[in-house]
Amino acid sequence: MASFDIVNYSLRPSKGIQRQIIFDGIRMLKSRLELSDMIYVGLGSIWFSDFVQAHKSLDIRRMVSIEADDTGYCRARFNKPYATVQVRHGHSSAVLAELHDDDDCQAHPWVVWLDYDGRLSEAMVGDIRAVIERSPSDTILLTTFKARATSYGRPEQRKERLRDLLGDVVPDDLSKAGCKGDRMQETLADLVTDFMKAIGVESARPGGFIPAFRIIYKDTMEMVTVGGIVPAPGNVSSATDVISDERWRCRPQRRIVAPLLTIREAVTLLSLLPRDDELTREQVRVSGFDLEQEQIEAFERYYREYPMFAQIVA
Amino acid sequence: MVVNTRGDKVDASPTKGFFVNMITRDITLEDTILDLIDNSIDAAWHNEGGQAMELADTVDLSAYRISISASPERFSIRDNCGGMTLDDAVEHAFSFGRRGSQELEEYSIGVYGIGMKRAAFKLGTNIRVRSTYTDSDGAREAFAVPILVDEWMKNDNPPWDFDIDEDHELDDDGVEIVVESLREGTKAEFGNPAFIRNLRRMIARDYSLHLNRGLKIAVGGKAVEGLPIELRQGGGFAPVRVEYKDQAGEDEVMVEIIGGMAAPPPESIDPDDAKDGDRRFGWYVACNGRIVLAADKTTVSGWGTSDWPQWHRQYSGFIGIVLFTAANAADLPLTTTKRSVDASSGVYLRARRRMRDISKEWIAYTNVRKQALAEAKRREAVPEAVPIQHVKKRLSIALPKLVRVKTEPVANVNYSVPVSKMKRLATELGNVNMTYRDVGLKSFDYTYDDHVGDG
Ligand SMILES: Nc1ncnc2c1ncn2[C@@H]1O[C@H](COP(=O)(O)OP(=O)(O)O)[C@@H](O)[C@H]1O
Ligand SMILES: [Mg+2]
Repeated sequence: MASFDIVNYSLRPSKGIQRQIIFDGIRMLKSRLELSDMIYVGLGSIWFSDFVQAHKSLDIRRMVSIEADDTGYCRARFNKPYATVQVRHGHSSAVLAELHDDDDCQAHPWVVWLDYDGRLSEAMVGDIRAVIERSPSDTILLTTFKARATSYGRPEQRKERLRDLLGDVVPDDLSKAGCKGDRMQETLADLVTDFMKAIGVESARPGGFIPAFRIIYKDTMEMVTVGGIVPAPGNVSSATDVISDERWRCRPQRRIVAPLLTIREAVTLLSLLPRDDELTREQVRVSGFDLEQEQIEAFERYYREYPMFAQIVA
Repeated sequence: MVVNTRGDKVDASPTKGFFVNMITRDITLEDTILDLIDNSIDAAWHNEGGQAMELADTVDLSAYRISISASPERFSIRDNCGGMTLDDAVEHAFSFGRRGSQELEEYSIGVYGIGMKRAAFKLGTNIRVRSTYTDSDGAREAFAVPILVDEWMKNDNPPWDFDIDEDHELDDDGVEIVVESLREGTKAEFGNPAFIRNLRRMIARDYSLHLNRGLKIAVGGKAVEGLPIELRQGGGFAPVRVEYKDQAGEDEVMVEIIGGMAAPPPESIDPDDAKDGDRRFGWYVACNGRIVLAADKTTVSGWGTSDWPQWHRQYSGFIGIVLFTAANAADLPLTTTKRSVDASSGVYLRARRRMRDISKEWIAYTNVRKQALAEAKRREAVPEAVPIQHVKKRLSIALPKLVRVKTEPVANVNYSVPVSKMKRLATELGNVNMTYRDVGLKSFDYTYDDHVGDG
């Protein structure tokens, strides 16, 4: 792939698609389980894209953004998009503990998205554990982290590193090959999911933990998003129904690697979709430009979620 | 026995509900599954002639397979170990205790002959045990015993037996137990990936002596590999391996004790540096081949009892194993859950004296070692790992005689940094799993070299 595909950090189409699919999924769960008055908990960002989605598509009013960094905290407060977003200053572990201790927060289900930029760490694993152990029933948990193999030590060290992080769920026969290249993202997605299930059982959550989300995506970096729900016992079967329905799109087989397109390219492609046959490279060429086959496929699969940004030139 | 306020006997017969609750209470789910594996192995062993299981003999178990599968919907175990006969089933397998006038007294004892029933009750409420075997005339026979716990519990009147049905044959002579309608706790555990992986680890360890003889145990379709128990031999190191006969009442119990260095002791005793490996060390006890106590560092194997110090990380690297072998399982020092030893057993206490002496030799070695570290490390690199079956007979453990070197006074450094920074530095230093201590030492050397130079 040519190098013009790897620039532009501000536009991350794969991440945008992923976010859209996940919010659609949460909406399905929300309506089927009749969840209301949910609280959204996210990690600090000055963009608040997830908060906007939470408000618009899930109709969530109460939102908490956690920001540890001093400057980031200041900027987050400045940038918060709605009056009902509360920006809390502190490490996620400390703020989550405060929220868990708060009776009022305990009275509503949460959507928690721990969207970390970095590789999986002890602190993140601790946050995941805390959310599963202590959040109110029907809380939906998502976590996103960097999953490039080389972030986890040299190949022969990776299994031990994972064992350090995730404990007993890491199988003794996990191979070195399973921790290399693209396989590493699959391994991480599966083992973090297993870890969540294990915590659900070990902390005796009456409805356990039901895995629901598993997406690998890549813009400039391989990322993994996994998560699920800790349903109230009475909601276990409805949640399972939603997730096992064929319309559930939050566990795609293939990773999301969307092409970075100009608005003009994207609009041109959209005008060719949807269609019954597959969009071919030839048809793209006929319309005036060119893309590689896999880029075309990725766009065709996710054109409805493809983020469209117009750049404002001041 | 229940007594009313006037002191008359009112009702001395226990209910099934009470009984089921009592036998399933103090055993873990893992251990009940191991109880079923024990039954399969007993059958295989019986098929092979049922001689004493000692380390040295050469019985090959590679023809035998045990397959286990566990999901939140269903549990099953199936073996090809010969099956149980209809007589077995009628006479004892499905009854509780011996028939006769004292049958009610059995419930409070019930150490033997409860494993299978206990496992079934612990797992779920809809159970089907099937057996296919070849009788003495060479004819293949099959039967099934369905156990519907809720139905069965409705009637407390003795006898408490189960019905035996006709059944079609299994592919191989053996037993199959299928449990459906799992209990809530069981269902949850079977949905826990950590549970299944830990069960595999437990099987790998507790049946390592059988697995090393070729027995095949699969969980979820994947074979479990036995954990090798190995000791280092050579270069002045040699494990002890002694054998003696003891008496339990009239009966004879064979005892074999093996112990020595399994790995060099740790460089630091910092608990942060304790990696997985530490879990392997300590004392193991096997009863008729089944490991009932593994890597023990507690008073059960003697650490911290009279004249024997408590376990300390400094002693890591040591593995000892004691094997008790008896024709009558009742003579073995095992508890009913088979998860520990009966520390009041004379046979065991007598073995423990010898275990203590061996442990103390190792303790002494690790003490001297601290003051002769360079030489110790050089010598510890020489010996090679040998599976315990191949350890040579020797009356005592051999360890090199180290000479203490007088060392310069040292400064111990202790400080805290965020784990994330520590891990990042470890990664940059080439090993994300490097111990904190080593990261500290490397950083010190690096800075020392920069600011002080050589020396
Ligand atoms: N897998 C098996 N193969 C053959 N016989 C078995 C098997 N499982 C159980 N049995 C028979 O059932 C009996 C009862 O088993 P159990 O309740 O575990 O008590 P115990 O093992 O103490 O005798 C065994 O003694 C054996 O005769
Ligand atoms: Mg038994």
